[in-house]
Amino acid sequence: MKDKYDVIVIGAGPAGLSAALSASQNGADVLIVERENEPGGILKQCIHDGFGLHRYGEKLTGPEYAYRDITQLEETGCDAVYSAFVLDVSGHDEGWQVTLSMRSGLHTVWTKALVLATGCRERTARQVFIHGDRPSGVYTAGTVQNFINLKGWMPAKKAVILGSGDIGLIMARRLTLEGAEVLGVYEAKNRPGGLMRNIAQCLEDFNIPLYLSKTVTRTIGKHRLEAVEIMDVDDNMEPVPGTEQIIPCDTLILSVGLIPENELAESIGVRISGQTHGPLVDQNMETLKDGIFAAGNCVSVNDLADYVSENGITAGKAAASYAGQKHERELLPVKTQDGIGSCVPQYIDKNSDLSNAVLYLRSDDDYRDREILLESEGKVLLTKKMKTVHSAEIIRLEADLSGIGSELKVKLI
Amino acid sequence: MKPDQLRKQLRKIDPGIRVSEVNGCIRLEGEVDDWQKAVKAGQAAVDRKRYLGVLNDIRLRGFEQKTILPEINDRYYDGRHCDVLIIGGGITGCAAARELAGYQLDLLLVEKGPDIASGQSSRNGGVLHTGVNFSKDSLKLKYCVRGNTMYRRLSDDLHVPYENKGQITFARTKWEMAALRYVQHTALQKGVVRTKIMTREELLKYEPSIPDWSIGGLYMGTGGITCPHKMTIALAENAAENGAEIALNTAVLSMKTENGLITEVVTNRGTIYPKAVINAAGVYADVIADMAGDRTFTIHPRIGTDLITDKKAGWMASSSLGKTPFTLSPEQLEEIPDDPVSRVKAILKNMHSHSKGIGLIHAVDGNVLIGPNADEVPDREDTSTDREISEHIIRVQQEVQPALRRSDIIAYFTGVRSPTYEEDFVVRKGIFTKNIFEAAGIQSPGLTAAPAIAADIAMWVREYLETIMDVKKNPSFDPKRKYKPVLSELTFQERDELIREHPDYGEIVCRCECISKGEILDALRSPVPVYTTDAIKRRVRCGMGRCQGGFCLPRIIEIIAEETGKQPEEIVKSSSESTHIFHKTK
Repeated sequence: MKDKYDVIVIGAGPAGLSAALSASQNGADVLIVERENEPGGILKQCIHDGFGLHRYGEKLTGPEYAYRDITQLEETGCDAVYSAFVLDVSGHDEGWQVTLSMRSGLHTVWTKALVLATGCRERTARQVFIHGDRPSGVYTAGTVQNFINLKGWMPAKKAVILGSGDIGLIMARRLTLEGAEVLGVYEAKNRPGGLMRNIAQCLEDFNIPLYLSKTVTRTIGKHRLEAVEIMDVDDNMEPVPGTEQIIPCDTLILSVGLIPENELAESIGVRISGQTHGPLVDQNMETLKDGIFAAGNCVSVNDLADYVSENGITAGKAAASYAGQKHERELLPVKTQDGIGSCVPQYIDKNSDLSNAVLYLRSDDDYRDREILLESEGKVLLTKKMKTVHSAEIIRLEADLSGIGSELKVKLI
Repeated sequence: MKPDQLRKQLRKIDPGIRVSEVNGCIRLEGEVDDWQKAVKAGQAAVDRKRYLGVLNDIRLRGFEQKTILPEINDRYYDGRHCDVLIIGGGITGCAAARELAGYQLDLLLVEKGPDIASGQSSRNGGVLHTGVNFSKDSLKLKYCVRGNTMYRRLSDDLHVPYENKGQITFARTKWEMAALRYVQHTALQKGVVRTKIMTREELLKYEPSIPDWSIGGLYMGTGGITCPHKMTIALAENAAENGAEIALNTAVLSMKTENGLITEVVTNRGTIYPKAVINAAGVYADVIADMAGDRTFTIHPRIGTDLITDKKAGWMASSSLGKTPFTLSPEQLEEIPDDPVSRVKAILKNMHSHSKGIGLIHAVDGNVLIGPNADEVPDREDTSTDREISEHIIRVQQEVQPALRRSDIIAYFTGVRSPTYEEDFVVRKGIFTKNIFEAAGIQSPGLTAAPAIAADIAMWVREYLETIMDVKKNPSFDPKRKYKPVLSELTFQERDELIREHPDYGEIVCRCECISKGEILDALRSPVPVYTTDAIKRRVRCGMGRCQGGFCLPRIIEIIAEETGKQPEEIVKSSSESTHIFHKTK
């Protein structure tokens, strides 16, 4: 590790790895920092396949997918430190000072540009207001995935899964393969949260029932979990009194949403979106603070690692360019309307390349036979016909925004 | 109240309630179908002039107390003789053990839970009270005021967080301010110093979160906060460092008394033969006193729930603050008719509601604690939380802090308080049994009072022992707990030097709270080691942050297993039955 870099990337999951790779390939002197003892991030524990369909046109497991970036990154000669935890980032005239806690001591390194690739964390039982006792046996899906796939420990015999997010579905299958009984997946919303292919491959193929508009309200057990209380929920997601049902089980697995991790971003004053809960960015993944870039699930929770990597490539390239020469940005807002819940990026820098911008959209509901419309000051820049639109699945759009006026409107018509 | 009047009143509550007098106490018996009736009867029977206390043996139909007992059943302590047996590893018991460790005594502390501070001592808000709201002749006032002054020193000696940021009661109207002026006037007579009536502007200097609708209030400078479970654990560790033996998972099941003396104490781990016994058994203090033939009081469980916010919401309070019990918030005012009678009714309802004590507390770790409510329940060990109660607490608190959102809440817990019907502490020498010393009915302000209670109890125990044996000072007694680095308190330079000497302090395991492997190992190598994931969480905060252990739990299980040479399947959450891992994968 040197004292000074062009670009420091924080996090060596899919976003960080591809950001470091692309920054290196674009000529920057790069350091990638990872708090765990090896690279890969959450991909390490995702031993199911389906990664890389968009990026490589083939189905890879998580570790295989990560390995491709890792080996390529090693070839570029980019510096990497593991078991290194960022304690502090502070801004100075010349760039940013990053303080790392490592087994060898505290280390301070300087950088011209910073890429935040800090990923996301899982929502917990308490954050979805589950009450009752506090026994062991209540875990988030990611924790269970870590237990089983990385440590080789079985934490469940008879499990109930709350939330039909992808990790929950994948863990339903994994637990079944490991000999546990999965009593059912319960979803508070009136539609499943995960990808359709996961509903089919993880639940239907294994005869695991999916219950919609039901949630877990209470955990019961003084030591290990003995049962959960399930209740129907109304349209406002509030439990309906009188619908209580007690289901004996020893494990409750939660797949109730992911929250972008931005404590570091917030500590350096990066502005966070109220919709995506990640930094507001332009099409180069640069945040509203010059020289700070962000990529992957810390910006907005994605459903495909391929998109996360694509983000990282964009951020890494732009960070390398920033380190070489700063340029003045002219940021125009992206406004989402009529059926579009959120869009990354939230800004378009008019002074950057506009010919091939990538937008990631999420609808606010499920729709059929609609059209996505990008327009600026009444001028239509792009339309795309959509047979189905699922709020659970990100819509990726490539667009030529050269004709942009003072703002960009994105809507579903 | 005259006895026949009382009988009439009790008949009104439930005709089946029987009254008798036993050993100077008033005893109630019978069976009711509503627990609130049993509580009401107990409250009605209080008569401190006529009786030593209320023995309320009224049962709730269909309810049987399920006491959680440790699974372990070895004979490890069988035949063990000791000078002092302390029953209860809460803050009072641990403080008493530490006091007595100043003498050359054979001390054994038994705790039925799997860790120190398994009951109220960990399940409370950590407020160090001023004492201003306790009556003049109460033990609560006496020990609260004295205990409050002891905390700065304890915090230094034991290296436990303590902050003296004051306590604030704020008011909405001029007449409420007048009432607070009266409270302030009585404060001095009660020995509570550093109180001041302040205008809204003056209060804002101490507490920027005073609601817009408050015109001022009472500032109490002696109010403070600590971390209750860390303090209790630190007291136990320091007692152990000075020679006391701490036995966890050890429950007292029965006692044998002879000629007014306890001779044998039967536990799940064998029979112990103590010279003196301290009863600091919390919610079971009356059960223990009964075993010893010294019961003059009844504990009636009263639960309270606190909600904990993310540290990011820590700005919502910088002190401990709450409205006066007779203050109606603007929201409440909107709901009631605008006439004096309705208002007085609403105020009275407010004062007797279970949420009158709800406030905001800035905790030592930077989170805000919201709560607690107060509800009478039959079960002494039901610490489950309830959706409606939590929602209610949020609603009440949003009137004080409108910025509060449900998404700010990262955790919540319920504690069971142990009040007597007299609503005062029972801190005394045994009345019917000479070698028992009672520290019972210790609920709020029990945390504040505990060091002072422990000092008195220890003094009485020593005086008693001096009549039967030679008691010498412990010349090697060191009131300072052995130092363990807390990395968040160090400068980067200090931290760097420490890591270069001990690399484990450089490896961060808990990312939300920034806790290193070195700090976890220190906790595992402490004088009172507890090898569970909850114990690590309470000692060093791994898993207390916003991810609630989602990321670090597997690693912590691994570290405990490595350190103890156990298999990961053997590492439990808390009690021996709270398994995490069943077996290895296929």
